Amino acid sequence: MSEIIATYNLSKRYGDACRVKNVNLSVREGEIYGFLGPNGAGKTTTLKMILGLTRPTAGRVTVFGKGLEQNRRFILSQTGSLIESPSYYGHLTGLENMRVVQRLRDVPDRNVEEALRIVRLEKQKDRKVAQYSLGMKQRLGIAMALMSFPKLLILDEPTNGLDPAGIGEIRELIKALPQRYDMTVVISSHLLSEIEQTATSIGIIHEGMMLFQGSLEALKNEKLPTILVKTQNNALAQELLARKGYLPARDGDFLAFENLGDDQVAMLNRILVECGMDVLRIEERKKNLERIFLDMTGKGGSL
Amino acid sequence: MGLVGLELYKLRRKRLFLMVILFLAVEIGWAFSATSISISRNPGSAGWEALIAMMSSMNGLFLPILTAVCVSRICDMEHKGNTWKLLLTLSVRRGALYAAKYVTASLVVSLACLIQAVAIAGFGFMKGFEQPVPVLLLLRFLLGLVITNTGVIALQQWASMTAKNQAFALALGMVGGFVGVAADLFPQGIRRIFIWSYYTGLSPVTQSYASAHIQFVVRDMGSLLPVMVALTAVGMVVYLAGSVYVSRQET
Repeated sequence: MSEIIATYNLSKRYGDACRVKNVNLSVREGEIYGFLGPNGAGKTTTLKMILGLTRPTAGRVTVFGKGLEQNRRFILSQTGSLIESPSYYGHLTGLENMRVVQRLRDVPDRNVEEALRIVRLEKQKDRKVAQYSLGMKQRLGIAMALMSFPKLLILDEPTNGLDPAGIGEIRELIKALPQRYDMTVVISSHLLSEIEQTATSIGIIHEGMMLFQGSLEALKNEKLPTILVKTQNNALAQELLARKGYLPARDGDFLAFENLGDDQVAMLNRILVECGMDVLRIEERKKNLERIFLDMTGKGGSL
Repeated sequence: MGLVGLELYKLRRKRLFLMVILFLAVEIGWAFSATSISISRNPGSAGWEALIAMMSSMNGLFLPILTAVCVSRICDMEHKGNTWKLLLTLSVRRGALYAAKYVTASLVVSLACLIQAVAIAGFGFMKGFEQPVPVLLLLRFLLGLVITNTGVIALQQWASMTAKNQAFALALGMVGGFVGVAADLFPQGIRRIFIWSYYTGLSPVTQSYASAHIQFVVRDMGSLLPVMVALTAVGMVVYLAGSVYVSRQET
């Protein structure tokens, strides 16, 4: 699988504030790459730099293996995108908006019809877009991005403003795109649940820095599980272990240890046993994704 | 050229042309009724020169506002729906879009001027002016308008593109209308620095108050030519400055 998007130490500074810091993003062919981060984390700024809408302060971007600066036209011709809020001409109808993009993309009429059908706007296509709901505008934006059936599709928060049924539809659509149309998809979101259900690979950005990049599985395994130990006398055990440099937290009937390797767990057990302290239970508690995000970003499941 | 076609396509349902026609109807109606009154009071002054001079001074008031409205309508649609970034991701360059909008605005305003020229010819014909239609004078009238528009459109476009709130650009147009109508009262040195003074300043016919009667004098083309060249250059500089300025902005 070849690399579709790669950024190298991509940074963007507005005045004194660094919005994106040394981001090395890597998207491979056929992936659905979920770009996850809280509001204001730098997702949109990064995506804008990938599309050449904003100039990076430092670092560089390659798309389809080509430098963005020199091959912008080629890259954009193969890329569909929806950045931030949807773009539209409110005084024109949905179909006329599609025609504007069609002229610039130079694609046949059937692409327009197909894209409208996919986002289920064919019945509303003759209404003025100013009268559309936010969800319909969002669908129109997705249809515009899809129209040329590009190799790369970049959708920035595509489910904003959609109702639950709409979110489900778009999610199914995005999942189907790589196989059906041979697309690579980058989708950003601040919602963990949304990314979890669609993405094959994820990147987590927080305060402009990439905290993690890889598969969801890798993320789950990234953090060592919490080890819970129950002894005859937890208070005494805690004191004993503190002298040996272990700093457990009290968690109900248990002492909780973070970031212990197998050797350290064995050592801990030996210490307790050698001191004549009976160990009743040693348990491992896997962290769920939500917990991992919380630890990473200091915010809850809705990043 | 494709982009200009696209701009015209995007103007659908904007009722821009209807607005232009209504606006012109008011202006032309006013100019013609004023001319009719002066002819009925003073039949001797009936002539093409008076008609063209009247239309030129009306243009000082009306065209800056008409231009401001047209340019604003053409530029504002990109602000309203956040379509800048859409177009940029479709490989449209900012400079090319700026040029397309400039050409489109020029076409619309030039069309309005052409309608004026045709209306002048029609009115004189109806009134039974003795001399034949002065084609050369009308062409010089059009040339003066087109050259003045070059600069005014460039200025308005810069304002409409940079300030998202169109009230600024429209207010600028109104200031232009005021200057345009009052320009002839300013001393020449001051008049010259205002671009809106050239609606009358480049008119082929001027009014002279030398005697008790108003006299209409046809200006010598040779004296206007250097002004025309200079004004065209100023218009191009304003256009380029606006285009470069807008091209450097980021979304």
